[in-house]
Amino acid sequence: MSEFIITHILAAFFSAIPAVGFAMVFNVPKHTLKFCAMGGAIAYTSRMILLDLHMPIELATFLASLLIGTIAVHWSRKYIVPRPIYTVASIIPLIPGTYAFSTMISLVDMNSHGVTPELIAIFIGNGLKSLSILGAISFGLALPSLYFIRHNRPII
Amino acid sequence: MSIISYEEQTKITRAIIKAAVMMLEFGAESKLIDQISQRMGAALGVKSVEMSLIPSAIVLTTLTPNQSVTTTRRAHHKPINMSIVYDIVRLCIELEKKRFGVLLVAKRLKEIKPNYYNRWLIVFMIGLSCASFAYLRGADVAAFFITFLAASTAMGVRQKLAKHRFVSIVIFTVTAFVATMVASLSYVNSISSTPSIALSSSVLLLVPGFPFINSILDAVKGYLSMGWGRWLQATLLTLATSMGIIFAMSLLNIKGW
Repeated sequence: MSEFIITHILAAFFSAIPAVGFAMVFNVPKHTLKFCAMGGAIAYTSRMILLDLHMPIELATFLASLLIGTIAVHWSRKYIVPRPIYTVASIIPLIPGTYAFSTMISLVDMNSHGVTPELIAIFIGNGLKSLSILGAISFGLALPSLYFIRHNRPII
Repeated sequence: MSIISYEEQTKITRAIIKAAVMMLEFGAESKLIDQISQRMGAALGVKSVEMSLIPSAIVLTTLTPNQSVTTTRRAHHKPINMSIVYDIVRLCIELEKKRFGVLLVAKRLKEIKPNYYNRWLIVFMIGLSCASFAYLRGADVAAFFITFLAASTAMGVRQKLAKHRFVSIVIFTVTAFVATMVASLSYVNSISSTPSIALSSSVLLLVPGFPFINSILDAVKGYLSMGWGRWLQATLLTLATSMGIIFAMSLLNIKGW
């Protein structure tokens, strides 16, 4: 049990770092940095716990980003900060970067070394994974704000 | 509603489109741009604000009961800068509360300065970020530090190139090349048992996650052309990064990414 807790605390710590790093690249206001760190940790750790429960990665990503999207609505109301500032940095640890690059690399490989069934499998497999994870993140983030569009009033 | 003169309405339109173009250039999502323009218009006393958004320009019309003013601006895309978006939203909220005039709005928009972080701090943090990604995928200690070195060198190169105003496709290709070259140190003397993790984590600073997410958010909220535009931009950047990786790998004769 304690091993479980230590792994997850370490994962939370190491996913908060990229959230802060990329938040700095996006030049977020200084006082929102700690929320970005918290958001990144919450998003990644919640997805990790859902994956431990043998959930498929798309569903786990969707639920994690839905959670962080809802928390960000609360923060943006409380501190009067537009929601993208929190969400954009928080979902950085969830983004399927390696899948996207593998897709493109296999595409170029197919062109230069000839088309083989293995390369097609890599291309389609990675492409679908990256598309579905990206879709899951975006829908998770969009749902809370679509709820407010219904009433046609802004979040802040 | 009091009658607004044509000159006054032109000033209002210019102030609103200035804010909208800044938000588009620095990477706000379309719904936010539309919302903020309409709220600023309402606060400045025009009847309604209609806008057409495409990735490279904005066309915006303000309507009052007796006349309408239309203007167009080109948008030149710049690196994402959330502090500017934040300042504009704050300005809009303040305007709604205090209802100051259009001249002050224009002055405040001119005064908005981006909140830059220290260059070396960003280089260090991005290096650490990519190293954290490597840790989360189960890299060993050597791969962790090589990823840190590779990603921070790459970030330094990226900032240098961005300073000289290269096109972002060139920046991404060159940066991916440098990152892969440095990360391939993990193959030397089999120093690390997980060299491929170092290789794939060191280029994660180049993932255009922001445009990808924004494009789907735009499309979901009904801005289809913006969604396509951002999607194409993000795909191009991913392809550019892959070209850099492939070039470095074929130079070093590494197989399997």
